[in-house]
Amino acid sequence: MRAVNVRVLQVAIVAIAASWTLAAQAPAPTQVTAQDLRDGLKNPTRWLNYGGDYGNQRYSPLTQITPANVSRLTAQWQFQTDTLGKFEATPLVLDGVVYVTGPLDTGWAIDARTGRQIWRYRRELPPGLIACCGLVNRGFGVLGDRLFKTTLDAHIVAISRKTGAIEWDTPMVNYRHGYSGTTAPLVVKDKVIAGVAGAEYGIRGFIDAYDANTGKQVWRFYTTAGPGDPGHGTWRGTDQKAWENGGGSIWVPGAYDPELNLTYWGTGNAGPDYNGSAREGDNLYTASIVALDADTGALKWHYQFTPHDIWDYDSTQMPVLADLTLGGQLRKVVLFANRNGFFYVLDRATGKLIRAKPFIQTTWAKEIRPDGRPMLEPNSVPSEDGTKVCPDQTGGTNWMPPSFSPSLNLLFVTARESCGVFFSWKEDYAAGDAYRGGAVQRLVDEQYSMLRAIDVLTGEKRWEFPYANQSWTGVLSTASGLVFAGSSGNVIAFEGKSGKQLWHFQTGSTLYAGAITYMVDDRQYVLMPSGTTLTAFALAAF
Amino acid sequence: MRGTLSVVVAAASIAISLGCATSAFAQDRGRAEQRPAKNPYEGKAEAITNGGAMFRTRCAGCHGPDAHGYLGPDLTGFWAAGGTDDRMFDIVRKGIPGTEMIAADPMRVLDRDIWQVMAYIRTLNAVPATAPSGDAANGAQVFRANCSSCHMVNARGGQLGPDLSRIGSARPRAGLHAKLRGTGNFIRPGYEPVTIVTRAGERIRGVRKNEDEFSIQIMDMRERLQGYLKDNLSEVRLEKQSVMPVYGPDRLSDRDLNDLLQYLAGLRGADATSR
Repeated sequence: MRAVNVRVLQVAIVAIAASWTLAAQAPAPTQVTAQDLRDGLKNPTRWLNYGGDYGNQRYSPLTQITPANVSRLTAQWQFQTDTLGKFEATPLVLDGVVYVTGPLDTGWAIDARTGRQIWRYRRELPPGLIACCGLVNRGFGVLGDRLFKTTLDAHIVAISRKTGAIEWDTPMVNYRHGYSGTTAPLVVKDKVIAGVAGAEYGIRGFIDAYDANTGKQVWRFYTTAGPGDPGHGTWRGTDQKAWENGGGSIWVPGAYDPELNLTYWGTGNAGPDYNGSAREGDNLYTASIVALDADTGALKWHYQFTPHDIWDYDSTQMPVLADLTLGGQLRKVVLFANRNGFFYVLDRATGKLIRAKPFIQTTWAKEIRPDGRPMLEPNSVPSEDGTKVCPDQTGGTNWMPPSFSPSLNLLFVTARESCGVFFSWKEDYAAGDAYRGGAVQRLVDEQYSMLRAIDVLTGEKRWEFPYANQSWTGVLSTASGLVFAGSSGNVIAFEGKSGKQLWHFQTGSTLYAGAITYMVDDRQYVLMPSGTTLTAFALAAF
Repeated sequence: MRGTLSVVVAAASIAISLGCATSAFAQDRGRAEQRPAKNPYEGKAEAITNGGAMFRTRCAGCHGPDAHGYLGPDLTGFWAAGGTDDRMFDIVRKGIPGTEMIAADPMRVLDRDIWQVMAYIRTLNAVPATAPSGDAANGAQVFRANCSSCHMVNARGGQLGPDLSRIGSARPRAGLHAKLRGTGNFIRPGYEPVTIVTRAGERIRGVRKNEDEFSIQIMDMRERLQGYLKDNLSEVRLEKQSVMPVYGPDRLSDRDLNDLLQYLAGLRGADATSR
C-alpha cells in the first residue's frame, strides 16, 4: 500500500510539473489590437477583416500554395451549419480558430485545423423580419477579445470571442420599418462602424460608429441628405420628404486609410428603386462612395456613381484601396468596379475622378465625362411598358468582393454581361412594405457571367474565364500568383497573370462568398464557404 | 420571344430561391392583414395603370400581353367562368403546384400589387369561350400512340419529356396546338436539347439536366441519365429545336389533333393526387 501511494504521488507530481511546463510554453491568448487591424495581412497566418486588410485587396502574402503545386490541393475538412439559408460571410481567422457568421443570425468558433465546432451563437429573432434578399450576414469584425456583428433585427452586438456570449447589444433602428443588419462591421481604432440594409423598403440609410467597449453610439452619417445637410437640394419633386424614404442602404463593409484617417463606404440604391418621378435630382448620397472622418463621421468628400439612380444600381461593392503609379506619379487611389458597369479609379484623398471605363456593356450611360458625371443614353428610363437597359438590376457585378493583386496590377472581378426590361409604376410608401416602384424582367438568354481581370493602370480587360452559370463568388488572390474564385459550386484556382484554370473542386452548393487563406502549424489553408458548408483545402501531405 | 419566355421561368426560379429562406417570416406578416373578399382596387384608374405595368413585368411572359393566354392560360374569361376575386388572389399568392405558376413571395409582391394586377385584368376584353369540341377518348388513343413513349400521364409513359398530368391547368389549348404543330418553340428548363460528341467521335443526343464549367448531365434519347466530363468531349452543342418531333398535318390530322387537345385539356392532375 505504502509503495503504491508513493508511486501515485510521483505520477501526480510529474503530471503537475508537465502541465505547468505546458502552460508556461503555450502562447497567451491573443488580444487583437487596433495596430493588428492596421497591419492587415502583414501577419498572413490570420485574417482579421472582411477584406483581409483595410484596403480590401484580399491579396494574401502566403506562398505555400503555388500555381505549380495547386493541383495537389485537397479538401481537409468540412463544417456544416445545420441551418437553412446560405453563407455570405467572410470568415475571420486568429490563432488557429475560425470565426464565422451564418444565416438566420448564427455564428461559430471553429478549430481551423479540423473544422470542429468550439462554440455556437444563435440569436432569438423576433417575428416579422423584413429582408429583401435572404436572411444572411456577411461576417464578424474583431477587436480585443470581442467579435462584433450586425443582426437581422437591426441591432449591433458584441460577442465574447471565448464563449460566444453577448457582451453588449445596441439597437441601431426599428427593424419593423424595413431595416436590417447584414454587413460585416468595420473596426477602426476603438470604434465599430456599420450600417443598415433595406433600400427596397423605403428606409433612410446611415452609417454608424459605436464604442467597441460599451456599444454606445459615437456618430451617425445619413446617406440621404436631410434638411440642413449639404446636398439636401438634390431631393426635389412632388414628394417633399422623399429623402426620408430615399434608400442608400449599407450592406457591405467599407475601407479605411489610416494615414488619411478616412473610411470609405459604398452606398445603396435610391428608393423607390425604379420610379424617380417623386424624387427629382441627384438624390445624394445614394449610389455613391462617401469618405468619412473615422473619428467624427464628418463627410470629407463624396463621388456619386449613379446620380438619380432608377435602375437599382446599389454601389454596395467593395472600395479597394491601392497605391498606383499613374502618369509617372504615385497616386493613392480607390478602385471601384460598380454594379452600374463602370470601373472607376478615384483619388482617395480628394474623391476626384481619375478614370472610369465600362467593364461590361452599359446602355444606361455611354461614358463618364471628365467632370465625373455619366453621359446618359436616351430611352433608358424604366416605364409602364418596359425599357430595355444593360446591365440588368443585378448589375455588372454585385456584393461579391473582388481581389486586387498589386504585383500584377490586376483587379479580379466576378462580372456579368446582362440586360433587363425595366418597368415602373407608382408606389406609395407604407412603413415596412416593399417600396420599389417597379420591377425588372431579366433577359436570361442575353447574359453570361465570368471572372474578369481588369488592368487597373489602363482600365482594359486583360483576360476572362466564362462561367456556366451566374456566379456570386468573391475573389482571393495570393502573392504566389494564384486567384481563387468559382461558380456553379466549383471552387476554381487560376493563374493570375493568364487566367489559366489550374484546379477545381465541386463543393456541392452555390458559392455566395469568397475564399480566404490562413496558416496554422506551418500549413496554408484555403477556406471557401458554399451553401451552408465551409470547406478547408490544403496541399496533400506526402 | 423565347428570350421573354425564358425570362419568366428563370425569374420564377429566382423568386423561389429568394423566397424560401424568408417564407416563415413572410407568413407572419401575411396573417396580420385581413383580406377583403372583393377587390378593393377594381375600377380605380391609377390602380389599373399600375396593375398593367405589373402585369407586363411579371405575368405577360406566360399569359400573353393581352392576358389571352400563351404558355399559361387565358385569364380574361376567369370571372365569366365562375371564378372569384378570392380564388384568383389565392392562385397568385400560393401558385399552382406542378406548373410554372409560382407563389408570389410576400416580401416582394404585396397584397396591394396582386389586387392592382387583378383590377387591370378585369378591364381586358374576355375572349368568348368556345364550346369544348373534340373526342377526348380518341385523343387518349392518339396520345398513347404518339406521345406516351416520351411523356408521362398519371404515372404511365416515358420520361424524356415533361410529365403532362397537369398540362390542362398549365397550358392553354392554343399553346399546346402551337407546340404540336411546331410553331411554338418554348422548351421547359431541364429539357433543353443537346448533342455531345465524345473524343472517340460518338454523338449522343438528349436533354440537358444540368451543367457546370467542367461537366454536363443529360438524359439521352433512350432515357439513360449520365454525366460527362467536358475534358472528354470534343463538342457540347445546345440546340434550339426541341427533341420533340413536329406533328404537322402529315403526321397528325386536324381532327386527331383536335381530339388530342381535348384530351390534354382535361388533364388537371386529379388522378395523380388520388393515387
